[in-house]
Amino acid sequence: MRGHLRRALPDLARVSFAGIVAYRAEMVIWILSTLLPLVMLALWSAVAREGPVAGYDEAGFVRYFAITLVVRQLTSVWLVWALNEDIRTGRLSIWLLKPMHPLVQHAIDMVVAIPLRALVLVPIVGTLLLLRPDLWRTPSPAEVALFAVATAVAWLLNFLVQALFATLSFWIDKSDALFGVWFAAWSLLSGYLVPLSLFPPGVRPVLAALPFRGMLGLPVEILGGFLPLREAVVQVGVQAAWLVALLGAVRWVWAVGVRRYGAFGA
Amino acid sequence: MIELRALRKVYRVPEKDPGLLGSLRSFWHRRYRDVVAVDGIDLDVAAGERVGFLGPNGAGKTTTLKMLTGLVHPTSGSATVAGARPQDRDPDFLRAVTLVMGQKQQLLWDLPATDTFLLNRALFDLDHATWSRTVEELVAELDLSSFLDRPVRNLSLGQRMRCELAAALLHRPRVLFLDEPTIGLDVEVQAAVRRFVRRWNELHGATVVLTSHDMNDVAALADRIVIIDQGVLRFDGSIDALHARFGAGRRVVVRGTEQALSGLGFEADGPRASDGSGRWQRTVPAREVNPLLQEVLARLPTAEVTVADPPLEEVLTRAFGAAREGRA
Repeated sequence: MRGHLRRALPDLARVSFAGIVAYRAEMVIWILSTLLPLVMLALWSAVAREGPVAGYDEAGFVRYFAITLVVRQLTSVWLVWALNEDIRTGRLSIWLLKPMHPLVQHAIDMVVAIPLRALVLVPIVGTLLLLRPDLWRTPSPAEVALFAVATAVAWLLNFLVQALFATLSFWIDKSDALFGVWFAAWSLLSGYLVPLSLFPPGVRPVLAALPFRGMLGLPVEILGGFLPLREAVVQVGVQAAWLVALLGAVRWVWAVGVRRYGAFGA
Repeated sequence: MIELRALRKVYRVPEKDPGLLGSLRSFWHRRYRDVVAVDGIDLDVAAGERVGFLGPNGAGKTTTLKMLTGLVHPTSGSATVAGARPQDRDPDFLRAVTLVMGQKQQLLWDLPATDTFLLNRALFDLDHATWSRTVEELVAELDLSSFLDRPVRNLSLGQRMRCELAAALLHRPRVLFLDEPTIGLDVEVQAAVRRFVRRWNELHGATVVLTSHDMNDVAALADRIVIIDQGVLRFDGSIDALHARFGAGRRVVVRGTEQALSGLGFEADGPRASDGSGRWQRTVPAREVNPLLQEVLARLPTAEVTVADPPLEEVLTRAFGAAREGRA
């Protein structure tokens, strides 16, 4: 299977890229919809002009949300909608007849879109740094390495959570609507709208144990130097634990769901 | 190649009373009803055979086909296809079969068909040389070259179906399952699709199992007919055997006038001219054909007369009717 995947990757990526080019207008709209951190950047930096908030001064907020923008672009997936449609329309049947897991092709589609997102990101971040050179902070090699790992795991967590919600389509009609509820919680608890250190001290250990932080806030805090390295390593451990749990959950729910799909008529 | 033993599929279908009250009641307390789609089918298909599944809507043909490809799990009984249990969806099994659905497509809608071919090369782990050779063969056989580089959404239905067939055969499956392959196609493309499937079967020895409402599909493609009705196998045999069992005789068609044929029991077969001449037909038991012909030729020595099996539609209507009566 692994050898098959390795041999298949170039062709799968080529077809995915052709698909993204065919849907480029849709993709640009999707990218624009994930630029919310720019709004939060303006909002929080205005607040911090009066004085630092929970240790963040104005430059701190700008740096935090600029990195949030980057991490959001790198870890965005749209599996819940794509897979939901496959299941509802019965198109999944076609993928189930291929000797490769249907999630693999979806994963490649979403990874291949990352370079296109960079085309939008680079000018925004470049302009920001040109206007505010004081925002630049040179991270240590350990921070860069940890950031890379945390970002990759964050992508996987986002992908698996969406796979879990999409798989619910085997039981309910509108699992994407249910995902909307999760997304609201995620926006608040992942560090997307507010840095997590702004939450009351009593709540923070709970947030550190939940999966949301590892899906966005953690890599942002690592690259921005907002988190001591030792604590960052512990948090990557929490991320890894969620990764293992979600992998197990998706495998199980998928197997049960496909059996149900087969039981109720594909 | 295919072995079915007491294969059965029962769907649990939710039931709801009409109106708002019904919706609310069903929200709290769901009621289900069991629907038997396939009710204990036994069947053996040898490698290289061409088998047509026939039956009215909701007879259980497509459910059977979906069980044979592993998409639907049997409630009881067993199915073995190419040596595997389809619902396990073992990679070797998936490489051995293909399913073409007339109502669903695997082609990537906004990309040229070649991109789907490339995708299938990756998904089925085909080596480049074999893949290229197969693509070349399929492009020539199905005459695809003039529209291969056009996005699928810009192709006609017939062009799309030809590309679908190519995409489905790239991995050279040993068993082809075709679910209503000619649905919605014009007569010319239907004929081309049938010719191609027949040729592919003869050249490569692939087993072909198709479901169809279209009797012409079945007559042109299948040597063996399996009639499924209300989930039960009603008939399994050749077209000749089907005629012998349900055909109720031979169909005699004569060109002549109403007056000349009066009293012989003929019925009009198409429009008649103002003088009452036209085509007349009567279906009679085989032993009565000769006496009838003698009488016709005595009255009309130069008449154009043909004797043939009754149309397959007529035979099948009779077969389904007999099946229903047997069940009632």
